[in-house]
Amino acid sequence: MKDKTIGRILAFFLLISAVLAVVAVDSVRNINRSVASSDWVNHTHAVILEANGVASAAQAGNAAALTYLITGEARSQAQARDALSDMFEHLEVAKALTRNEPSQHAQVLRLETLVNQRAEFLRSAMADAKSNRPEAERAYVASDAIGASAGEIQRAVEKLTEEEMALLADRDRASYIQAQTTRWTVGSGVALDVLLLGGVAWLIWTDIEVRRRAAAALREANELLETKVRERTAELASANEHLTTENFERRWANQALEHQVRYNELIIDSINDLVFVLTKSLNISRLNPAVVRLTGFEAEELINHPFPLFARITTAGGAPLADPLSRALIEGHDLRDQRAIVTDKRGREIPVSLALFPLRDRDKVVGGVAILQVLRESS
Amino acid sequence: MKKHIVVVDDESSIRDLLGEFLTLSGYRVTTAQSALEAQRAVEREAPDLIVSDLQLEDSDGLDLIAELKTTLPNTPVILLTGVHFDPKVAKEILSKKVSCYLQKTSPLSKILEEVRRLIGS
Repeated sequence: MKDKTIGRILAFFLLISAVLAVVAVDSVRNINRSVASSDWVNHTHAVILEANGVASAAQAGNAAALTYLITGEARSQAQARDALSDMFEHLEVAKALTRNEPSQHAQVLRLETLVNQRAEFLRSAMADAKSNRPEAERAYVASDAIGASAGEIQRAVEKLTEEEMALLADRDRASYIQAQTTRWTVGSGVALDVLLLGGVAWLIWTDIEVRRRAAAALREANELLETKVRERTAELASANEHLTTENFERRWANQALEHQVRYNELIIDSINDLVFVLTKSLNISRLNPAVVRLTGFEAEELINHPFPLFARITTAGGAPLADPLSRALIEGHDLRDQRAIVTDKRGREIPVSLALFPLRDRDKVVGGVAILQVLRESS
Repeated sequence: MKKHIVVVDDESSIRDLLGEFLTLSGYRVTTAQSALEAQRAVEREAPDLIVSDLQLEDSDGLDLIAELKTTLPNTPVILLTGVHFDPKVAKEILSKKVSCYLQKTSPLSKILEEVRRLIGS
């Protein structure tokens, strides 16, 4: 998007530059044309001026020659000669000015013919007047050649002037059209450039707006992201704290449980009487260290073995009774102060007082605890 | 300034775990494994709270508490024990001697709740 906008702006500037170049080239060309046109106008005016100079000099020469023919004054003769000289001088300048323009040059050459004829006539008239002036004067006036010839020169000059003026008018129209074209070209170029610059400004403004919106969107996205990160971090911290607390609680619960188990074991192990934990079918599931000390049996040798094989309840006379332990557990009552005989590992019989307490778990008898107290012979 | 707690228990695993937990909960904890160590710790710096086990190697927790109370009569004491007392007995007898009685099977959150109730966060 960014590259596309820059490309468009560059294209606009290229267009603006092209329009400026076209306007500049056209303007320079028009200026050159105007300069050339101005030179041509000056040149044409110079031709007209010189042609009129020829006509004026011809008129002055005519007047001075006529005066000389009438008065015979040498001064008039000199004036006539000067006028003729001026006339030729103007003619030469006009020829030089029209050298590169064939139609004008042809007219100037025609004028030259007339001028030569007129000069020849005046010279011969003034030469005749020297020897026979009154006759020459009459002949000169009668011939009316002066007027006719001078009129021809005047008409030729007028015709040349008219043609030059017509050309000047054409040039003037062309110059006007050219000036209008230049104005239109410059005006159009400037208007187009203004429009193009407006387009560039719009493009830049649009691009800035897009960038501003993109920056705002990015900022918003960053803020949202930061918020989410903060929330997530808080969640993680909370979860971590929860886990840590949970971990502590678990370890604490384990410690408490271990402590309780150890404490319970301590209570049983601290009793010096023989303590057995029995299953409901009277197998030994646990015993205290006093059993090992008194009988010499290791715990492994007694555990999971029937308790009645280890301790036999007897009558007062020493005869065994029929399974009072099972009956006590089934009926769920205590059995106290029962005489019994325990045989130790070496086969020695030890008289004991036996008590059996049903082991209840939620009012259900699941086994029993037997406590055997050694009876001393003396008692 | 963090509140100072002295934890007295002869079982290192329980003592260390409770000390670590209370430290993490924002308290400054000094641990002692015997009554003698507890007395030294209290002499070094008077605590804001004493948490003691009932059964110690060299003394009874209640005796220790009674001794400490002579120098720190206003310092609250929590008695922690694995021995189950009858609730009525605990209320009638122990409540006169300690600020709070808790079994070791109580969750840590309960212990922390009592600590905060007695000395704040």
